[in-house]
Amino acid sequence: MYRKQARRRRAVLTLLIVGSFLLLTLTYGQAPGSVQQGIGSLFNPLADVADRALKPARDLVGWFDETFEARGENERLRDELAEARRQAVAGQAALNENGQLRELVKLDRSPVIAYSTFEPVTGRVIARSPIVWHSAVTIDLGRDDGVRVDDPVVSGDGLVGAIASVQGGSAQVTLLTDHTSGVSARVLPGGAQGVVRPEVGDPEDLVLDFIKAARNIGAGQVVETAGWRASGIASLFPAHLPIGEVTEAPVEEQEASQQVHLRPYADLANLDIVQVLTGGAR
Amino acid sequence: MIVTPKIFARLAAIALLGVLLQISFFSRVTVLGVSPDVLPALVVVLGLLGGAMTGAVAGFAIGLLLDGSLVESLGGSSLVLLGVGYLTGLLRERFELRGALVAALACLGLTMVAELGFALVQLTLGVDAPVSLLIVRDLVLKGIFAFFVGWPLYIGLCRLLRAALVEEPRVTRRRQPAVFGA
Repeated sequence: MYRKQARRRRAVLTLLIVGSFLLLTLTYGQAPGSVQQGIGSLFNPLADVADRALKPARDLVGWFDETFEARGENERLRDELAEARRQAVAGQAALNENGQLRELVKLDRSPVIAYSTFEPVTGRVIARSPIVWHSAVTIDLGRDDGVRVDDPVVSGDGLVGAIASVQGGSAQVTLLTDHTSGVSARVLPGGAQGVVRPEVGDPEDLVLDFIKAARNIGAGQVVETAGWRASGIASLFPAHLPIGEVTEAPVEEQEASQQVHLRPYADLANLDIVQVLTGGAR
Repeated sequence: MIVTPKIFARLAAIALLGVLLQISFFSRVTVLGVSPDVLPALVVVLGLLGGAMTGAVAGFAIGLLLDGSLVESLGGSSLVLLGVGYLTGLLRERFELRGALVAALACLGLTMVAELGFALVQLTLGVDAPVSLLIVRDLVLKGIFAFFVGWPLYIGLCRLLRAALVEEPRVTRRRQPAVFGA
């Protein structure tokens, strides 16, 4: 009797392990299949309801956490405000100058990939992966709202990520902090270009990789999407979407590994409202 | 654990509710910069209450639900959580572990094991980016959160699944009446 039970137990365990490996082999790196889409479609309306119901509780936890963090951030924000004021004055002067120059040379006002060709659709985050290795969220916008795979996603602060998969009424967004993410970017001023990649496990740190060692980049410089287009192919992201600000740019690191660190503008750990830029010409 | 259709329905509802709460609440709040992960703790408690088989099956199902609900590759979370569930069940069966404090401590240790498992699966599949040392902080804090979640979770699930639990009767010693002046 005991042996029979032990055999059955071993068989079930083996079946579960083999099943897991099989599922992993069949689905890893592939577009979501009907099983995932089916479970997702069943879960997302529930997640939507749970998201609304639990928002007050989330806000309460958020309030405690932010109050705790705010004490340390106060000093840094003061410095940033002073720096932002200086930049605003300089920016106003640059805008005036830019307007005059445009009038002079009659430049096309649209950038390389016109932001105006996109139609922003606003949605809410309804679910998030608990595993730090999968930096992804589910939003309440889907195919019915005109969302397509690879559409850029932004928040009020800057770039958030891109659409990874879409169902009827929901979609999955791969965040900038996911290990598969990579965005071509440009540092302002100066124009040094590189690829923004994440550092897994740290949502407040991104790495601008593959920059030319000759370009000297300093802390506080702004990083935006480069939005290139060449030989019929184009970047997923339009130009001029703010990504973040350079935090560390040691000369040794720039020369040795051609990279600098930046902090994303968007609070990727606490996303709530996002915009999907739909309908872009790609 | 004696799994009748009624108990099975309760277990399914617990798994569903656990995944729903995780993806819409716990994953979306940060405490000290880390989001709590209660699913390994849920699997640990089910393993402690039901034994190795219940733990393994619950872990597999919860992992599958989690990956499916987020439309991610299936199998990774199932593999890790089924291992955690089985291990917890074995610990309970071999060492007769019981009680809320034991559950809380098991949640602490095995949540860390689960997070290590997730890392191992991901590193085996390939990571295209540098990995921050903060991942260690994430692992430790998730374990500590699980300790605080494990305690009430164990007590709650004990009550909810009481009908299915095979408990040894408590031995209560009756005090002999004292007879004075005999």
